[in-house]
Amino acid sequence: MSDFAGMEDLLQDFLQEAGDLLSDVDNKLVDLERSPDDRRLLNDIFRGFHTIKGGAGFLNAGELVTLCHLTESLFDKLRNAGMTLTPGLMDTIMAATHGVRNMFGEIAQGRQPNPASPEVITNLRAALAGGGKIGLAALTATGGVEGETLVGPDPLPATAVHSKGPDWQALHAAVTGQSVGPLAVSAPVEPVANAGSGSAVDLASLQPHFPPEGRRVTDKPGAAVSGAPTGRRVEERAAARETTIRVDTARLDQVLNLSGEIGLTKNRLTSLRADILAGRTDAETLQALDQAVSQLDLLVSDLQNSVMKTRMQPIGRLFQKYPRIARDLARQLGKDVELALVGEETEVDKTMIEDLADPLIHLIRNAVDHGVESAEERRAAGKPLKSVVRLEARQEGDHIVLMIADDGRGMSPERIRAKAVEKRIISEEEANTLDDRQSLNLIFLPGFSTMAQASAVSGRGVGMDVVKTNIQKLNGSIEIRSEAGKGSVFVISLPLTLAILPVLLVLLGDQPFALPLSMVREILPINQERMQEVGGKETLVVRGEILPVIALSRLLGWPQVQPAEYGVLMQTAERSFILAVDNFAGRDDAVIKALDDFRPRGVAGVTTLSNGQIVLILDMKELLADLTAHPERDLRPAPARALEFFA
Amino acid sequence: MADPKMRILVVDDFSTMRRIVRNLLKELGFANVEEAEDGAIALQKLQNGSFEFVVTDWNMPNMDGLQLLQAIRKTPALKHLPVMMITAEAKKENIIAAAQAGASGYIVKPFTAATLAEKLQKIFDKMGG
Repeated sequence: MSDFAGMEDLLQDFLQEAGDLLSDVDNKLVDLERSPDDRRLLNDIFRGFHTIKGGAGFLNAGELVTLCHLTESLFDKLRNAGMTLTPGLMDTIMAATHGVRNMFGEIAQGRQPNPASPEVITNLRAALAGGGKIGLAALTATGGVEGETLVGPDPLPATAVHSKGPDWQALHAAVTGQSVGPLAVSAPVEPVANAGSGSAVDLASLQPHFPPEGRRVTDKPGAAVSGAPTGRRVEERAAARETTIRVDTARLDQVLNLSGEIGLTKNRLTSLRADILAGRTDAETLQALDQAVSQLDLLVSDLQNSVMKTRMQPIGRLFQKYPRIARDLARQLGKDVELALVGEETEVDKTMIEDLADPLIHLIRNAVDHGVESAEERRAAGKPLKSVVRLEARQEGDHIVLMIADDGRGMSPERIRAKAVEKRIISEEEANTLDDRQSLNLIFLPGFSTMAQASAVSGRGVGMDVVKTNIQKLNGSIEIRSEAGKGSVFVISLPLTLAILPVLLVLLGDQPFALPLSMVREILPINQERMQEVGGKETLVVRGEILPVIALSRLLGWPQVQPAEYGVLMQTAERSFILAVDNFAGRDDAVIKALDDFRPRGVAGVTTLSNGQIVLILDMKELLADLTAHPERDLRPAPARALEFFA
Repeated sequence: MADPKMRILVVDDFSTMRRIVRNLLKELGFANVEEAEDGAIALQKLQNGSFEFVVTDWNMPNMDGLQLLQAIRKTPALKHLPVMMITAEAKKENIIAAAQAGASGYIVKPFTAATLAEKLQKIFDKMGG
């Protein structure tokens, strides 16, 4: 049972908006560390906590209100009372921010947050008490009114202490250790009776106001009790997938417009059908039919585009979270690293943003931990002590390119090769055939880690191969550029969306197969006489480049009935080759249907052609990997069986 | 009672909060509501349109609620507009500042539709009287 029954919509809005706000606060905190006297930053951060507090109040999330209030008060003191920001204070603030984020996680699980860690609260209170002049304790002493000046529903226990009469709920809280939410102060609070007499403000209406009975948090002791022991699990699950999306209304309006127009065209078609069924097939009717269908064609593709756009989100929402992570890590390692963000406005499919979160964190950690040198090393190399890790996004044609660049020591192909041999990931002979680029790519192999000892920060070499796998799952690729002493760059290339994949349709006999167009460089006729055998493998020379020829039939384990007539020059991150096929049927924008429960190796998904025929979209990387792993294997690979499944 | 078609401007930088206020107003029968993200945008909207009531948050970027209130009172065409201030806590000095700047009413977050109705009624009564 949710603690927020009836408030789901509000909750979603709040979590999304407050989450963004908190990420922004996180970034500003990182900036603040560099310029602790920046009043604009102090004001913005103050307002961030203040705004979250206001929203949390409407959700009755008392613990969140308390935590935000304390932090906000601290910033009020920093900006107005000349309190200085010490590293210790910064840690307290960071811990508070972390606490707020955890509470968002709990709220997302439909539960009122548990109290923040006592340590955070104690530290915040100590910091507030330390400065003396302004802040919570001092608020009571302002103006000519005695006693309480906070007349709002302030959840702080301090308020309860000052209010007259016993505060049963606070006592209950003290006895049971349970939070009682914002209602802790429903004990009578002294109104500001004689403030600013003669003013236009309606002073009689300044008593505290509380939500109606039905929403009282304290009325659910069962929920509160059951919530407590699961607190730890909540933190772990806080990263649950968002199920909502924020869309610019202009984009939604466009979708609405288009669906309206499609409705009109459908009506036109319905009436034409009636005419045709009634026997009217004159030129005029047929022309009208032709027009209506063409129009529908246009509208549907516009609609597809518009719907796709509603899923596009600026990648900045993801990037926002990283400066803080980089900062924490750099501090832990005693390094001075700035994470510079570029191209935050670049739009990426929402699912992709979520799936990119972990790989990017890993690459940033890797850059800060392994890429960037220690302070001594940088000094010795004559580099500026502060290093910059750049996280950049941009759109290039129908691709999104992400770059994570550091200005560190760079990667040494020799060292990586040696390490891979030492770890028996590759043999000495294999190592000798690798060029520098291929050597760098070794770090993506499972079990590889360039550090002699696994660092607590970047993990134990289980990361890079997972990064690569995750990127590939998004139909993307990743490559490394590195220059000794200057730094390394990881370049990730991703399709704009996962929903639609431009494909090339090739034929084997009568059976079409779809290849991702992103891998296709060109199509060329295969002249059997120009085929050359090199090392027992068939090759073709294309503009001076010797390329292996691999028959699609062989990849699929089908008999080659006739000599292949066409070659498709394909390029993957690792190599280029020519795929020999019987014929090709053109290009298509495939709407991918994922094979969730039944996904044979080598098949990325299926799509349907206009005639209703089902076409497999081939996963070339998997097929090639199988071929490389078992070149002599003559088992019929999965795609062949998959086809039988659909037949 | 006030005209339910009354045109109301809700000013807050936090869209969740705008939505909360809008929903509460709707609950009370006021459906003719527009939103603004900060004081500066609000002032522009007020100058361009015929609003009859303003509900504004205090703490906002660019131009805060108090500055907005002061600007409204200084503008001849707007100075009679009723303005209700929303804030997270009722610090005495805030209330005095709002009163001195000419706020018509003051409401503390969080609040319910009933509280809002009561506060609005007080303002309408004052205007009528």
